[in-house]
Amino acid sequence: MQKKIEEAKRGLENEVKAITSLKEAELLKTKYLGRKGVVSDFMKMLPTLPIEQRAAFGQQLNALKGEITIILEERIASLPSEAAPKGKQELFDITLPGTQPFIGKKHPLTQTIDDIKEVFAGLGFDVAYGPEVELEYYNFDALNIPSDHPSRTDFDTFYIKNDVLLRSQTSTVQIRVMEKQKPPVRIIAPGRVYRPDTVDARHSFMFHQVEGLLVDEGVSFADLKGVLNQFIKTYFGQNVQMRLRPSFFPFTEPSAEVDISCSLCSGKGCCVCSYSGWVEILGAGMVDPNVFHAVHYDAEKYTGFAFGMGVERITMLKHGINDIRLFYENDMRFLSQF
Amino acid sequence: MKISFNWLKEYVYFPLTPQELSVRLTNVGLVVADIKQVEDDFCLEIEVTSNRPDCLGAIGIARDTVAAVGGSLQIPAVTPAVEKGKAADKAALAEIAKWVTVSVEDTMLCPRYTAQIIQYVTIGPSPEWMQKRLKCIGLRPVNNVVDVTNYVMMETGQPLHAFDYDKIADKKIVVRRATIGEEIVTINGARRALFHDMLVIADGKKPVAVAGVMGGRDTEVTESTRRILLECALFEPRQVRRTSRALGIASDSSYRFERGIDPEITEYASRRAANLIQSCAGGEAVNGFIDVRSGKHETKKITLRMERLNKIIGVEIKKEVAVDILKRLHFRVLDETSHLIDFEAPSFRGDVYREIDLIEEVARVYGYNNIPTKTSVSIRGSVKNKYETVENDVRRLLTGVGFYEAKTFSIVDASVLQSINLWSDVSGLDISNPLRLEESRLRTSLLPSLINVKRYNANHGTERVKMFEIAKVYLAGEKLPQEKTCLSILADTDFLTVKGMIEAILTHLGVHSKCESLPFSKPELFRDGRVAKLLLDGKILGYMGEGSSDLAFNVPPCLVELDMDLLVEKANFAKNYQALPQHPPVFRDLALLVDEEVAWASIEKAIAGTKVSFLKNINFFDVYRGKQIPAGKKSIAFNLCFQAQDRTLKNEEVDIAQTTIIDVLYKTLNAELRKQ
Repeated sequence: MQKKIEEAKRGLENEVKAITSLKEAELLKTKYLGRKGVVSDFMKMLPTLPIEQRAAFGQQLNALKGEITIILEERIASLPSEAAPKGKQELFDITLPGTQPFIGKKHPLTQTIDDIKEVFAGLGFDVAYGPEVELEYYNFDALNIPSDHPSRTDFDTFYIKNDVLLRSQTSTVQIRVMEKQKPPVRIIAPGRVYRPDTVDARHSFMFHQVEGLLVDEGVSFADLKGVLNQFIKTYFGQNVQMRLRPSFFPFTEPSAEVDISCSLCSGKGCCVCSYSGWVEILGAGMVDPNVFHAVHYDAEKYTGFAFGMGVERITMLKHGINDIRLFYENDMRFLSQF
Repeated sequence: MKISFNWLKEYVYFPLTPQELSVRLTNVGLVVADIKQVEDDFCLEIEVTSNRPDCLGAIGIARDTVAAVGGSLQIPAVTPAVEKGKAADKAALAEIAKWVTVSVEDTMLCPRYTAQIIQYVTIGPSPEWMQKRLKCIGLRPVNNVVDVTNYVMMETGQPLHAFDYDKIADKKIVVRRATIGEEIVTINGARRALFHDMLVIADGKKPVAVAGVMGGRDTEVTESTRRILLECALFEPRQVRRTSRALGIASDSSYRFERGIDPEITEYASRRAANLIQSCAGGEAVNGFIDVRSGKHETKKITLRMERLNKIIGVEIKKEVAVDILKRLHFRVLDETSHLIDFEAPSFRGDVYREIDLIEEVARVYGYNNIPTKTSVSIRGSVKNKYETVENDVRRLLTGVGFYEAKTFSIVDASVLQSINLWSDVSGLDISNPLRLEESRLRTSLLPSLINVKRYNANHGTERVKMFEIAKVYLAGEKLPQEKTCLSILADTDFLTVKGMIEAILTHLGVHSKCESLPFSKPELFRDGRVAKLLLDGKILGYMGEGSSDLAFNVPPCLVELDMDLLVEKANFAKNYQALPQHPPVFRDLALLVDEEVAWASIEKAIAGTKVSFLKNINFFDVYRGKQIPAGKKSIAFNLCFQAQDRTLKNEEVDIAQTTIIDVLYKTLNAELRKQ
C-alpha cells in the first residue's frame, strides 16, 4: 500500500513538470483528485483492508491529497501568467466593493439640534419643552410684547381662535419654565415654530428654533458673551470670531444680534455673507425686567440672559444648503447626504 | 432707511469713509446693510429696528453718528416760532383763520395737527442739489413743493403733506373718521372705499387725504397750483397701521407714523418745509401757524444707578463715561449724586423710559464688542430627562436598522387622508388665518405626511423607503389641545418585520410589560385584517398594519403610529445583573395542528397557564399550511426551552412538563400534536 502511494506521488511529480497550461493542470487535478481519480480509487480500497489498518491508511490518503494539492498549486503558480485566465482556480478579488448594511440617517435638522444640545449640555443647560399651540399670553404678553405690536396680527401669527395661537417663537418656553421653577434656571428649548410666511427658498411657514435661558444672581452681559462665545467656538470652530450688534427684542434689554465671521471666506467677504465677512446666527440679550415681573421673579435680585437661533439657518450655513424647502420634502437623495 | 452720505455730513462732521462710518454705525445698532455709490455720493441702506423711529430721518442718524464717532450736531435753522398766546401770535392766528379753519374731531387719533399757508408759489422742478439727494436715496423728484415735503420727511422723520389750497372746499380742514359710503382717489390713482374706523382729512365736503397714509388726487399739488396748505401732523400709530393694512397702501408716511414720531418735531418740520418751499418755489407764508394740539409731551425722570449698570453689563464703566454717552444721545441730566443720576429722555426717544433702557443706551455706545467675554458662569452638570434619552435611543435604533428620519409639516390640508385620527374621534384644529388651504389644519396623525413623502420619493426615483418621524399630533382639548408626541413609521417591508422591530425597540428600552396585539377595525388607512392595536399594560401604545390598497401603491407599505409618551413612561433603564445560568437548557420542538382561528397569543397564554416553573422560553418557528394540512387548519411550530436555576433537568421531568403542556393545548385549543 505504502508503495502504491509513493508511486502515485512520483507519477504526479513527473507529469506535473510536463504541463504548460492551466487546462493541463486541471486535467491532472481531475486525474488525481477527481471523483474517479487516483486518490478516490485508493479510498475505495479502504473497506477491503483489515480494520486495524484502516485508520492509518486513511491518514496517509489525506496527507497524499494535501501533497497533491500543494504540488499542483505550486506548478500553477509557476505557469506563465498569460496562460492564466480561463479555467483558473477561483481567486478572491479583495478589491470588490464590500456588502454594506443599509444604515439610515437622522434628519439634518435633528443632527443640528442634537449638536447644539450637546454643546449646551456641556455648559450645564437642560433641555426643556413647551406646547406649540399656545396662549397669546405666553407668546406675547408675558414676553413684554405690547398689545398693539405688529407681530400679533394675522399677518405674522397663525391663530386657532382669539387668544390661542401657534407659537411664533420658542421664547414661550422661557415663561413656561420660569413659572414652574425658581432661579437658578439654565435651559435650552428646541422646537417647531410657525409664522404665516409664503414658502420660498428662504422662508417656510414652519421652522425650528432653539431658545436658551440662564437666570441666576449676578449674571451679566459679559457672561452672555462668554457662553455664546464658547458655543460658537465649539460648534463652528475655534478660529471663528464672534461679533455683537445692538438690536431690539421686546423681551430682552439690552438686546444684540450675534454674528460669526463667515466660515466660507474667513471674513474676507463673499456672497454667503453679502460681502460683509459676517453672518448673523442668533439673537440674544439680557432678560427684560418686565419678563421677570410676569413670572414673579425679583428683577433686582436676579438677572439673566436669553438667546434664540434658527435651526434651519444654521444647518443651511453649515452645509451650504440654499433652499429651505429641501428640509421638508424628505427626498432620500437629500437626506442621505448628511 | 436709506441715507445719502453727503447729506448726513451736513449735520455732523466726521473724517470717515462710507465704509468706516458703516462699521461705526453698525456697532451702535444702526446696521448698514448696503453701500451703493451714486455719482459722487453714497447711498447707505440702514436697518432701523422698530424701537428706533427717531432714526427714520437723517437728523436722527446724525445724532447716533455723534454718539458713535463724536463731533457735534448741526441742525438747519428755521423761522423762529412765535411765542404761543402772546399778542403777536393771536394777531397771526386771526389772520390765518381767514384762510382756513382746522378742527380735529378725534384728538385721540390725531393729537396734533398743524397747518401753514404759502401763497404765490411757482411750481416747477426742485433745485439740482435737492433732486440729487432724493435720487440718491431712491426717491423720484416730482416738483419743488412735493420734493420739499419728501426732503423734510427724510431729514426729520416727520411726514408732511402739501394740499393745493384752492381745491380745499369751504376753507375748512376737518380731521374726522370717514363716514359710510365715502371714498377717495389717492394720488397714486387708485379709488378706495373708506370705512368708519379710518381717519381722514376732509375739507368742507369730502375726504382729501387718508390721515398719515396718503393724500387725495383731487387736492394734490399740480403745475397750476399757486397756494399751498402745508399739513404737518401727528397721528396715532395703531390707527395708521390698521388703515394702511386695510387699504393695502404702505407709504413712507405710514411707515413712519406706524412706528411713532417725535411729538416735538412737528413745528420744526413744518417751518423747515415752509422755508424750503419759499426758497425752492418762491412764495410767501401767510402770517400765522395753526397748531391744534391736545395734551403735551410728558417728560419723565429716569434714575440710573451706577451699581446696577455695572451689574447688568458686567464691567466697571466710569460714571463720566456713562454720562457722556447719554448726553451725546441728548439725555438731560436733572440731578446727580456719586452713584445715582437722574435723566430726562429727549422727546424723540419714546423707547427709553426705564433704567434698563438707559443701561442699554450706555452699553451699545460703549460698544458690545468692548465688553469683556467672561467665563465665570458657575459650573453645573446638565440633567438629562427621560424623554430625551428615549427619543435618542429610538432614533439611534431605527437609523441603525436602515430607517431615515423625515420631518414634515404639522399644518396640513383638510383632505380625507389627512383627517385620519387614530387617537380620538374629534377632527383636527383649524387655523383661523391660513395662508393656503393646503396648510390650514393641525394634523392628527403623522402617517398621511409619511405616505406623501413615500409618494414624493417614488416620483423622484426612490421606490422603496423606510422612514420614521417623531413629532406631535394635535388633539382638540379644552383651552389648549392635547399635543401627543408620536413615533410614526412607514416601511416597505412586511408586517412581522416591522412588528419585530417594535418589539426589539421595546426590549431595548427596558419595557418589561408584554406588548399585546388586538384586532382593530378602523379601516381607512390599513388593510382589513392586517392591522393591530398595540397595548402595553392595557394602555394603547399605538397602531400598526399594512397600508390599504386604496393608497394606490404597487406594494402597500407597513404603517405604524406609536404614543411616544407611553413609551417614555414604560421605558426602564435600570439594569440589574442576572446571574448566568449554571445548568444546561433542554429544548423540545413541537408542531401543533390547530384551527385557523387559533391565534399564537392564545397558545402562549395556554402554555403560560400551565405554570411550569422551569419553562424558560417559548420560541415561535413558523406557521405552515400545505398538502399535509387539512383545510381550515394550520400547523404551528415552536420550541420550548426548559432550564432550571438550581439543577440540571432530568429528561423525565421535562417529558412530564411537555405532556402537561400538550394536554392543556389539546383541552383548551383542540390542538393536536403533528407527527414529526
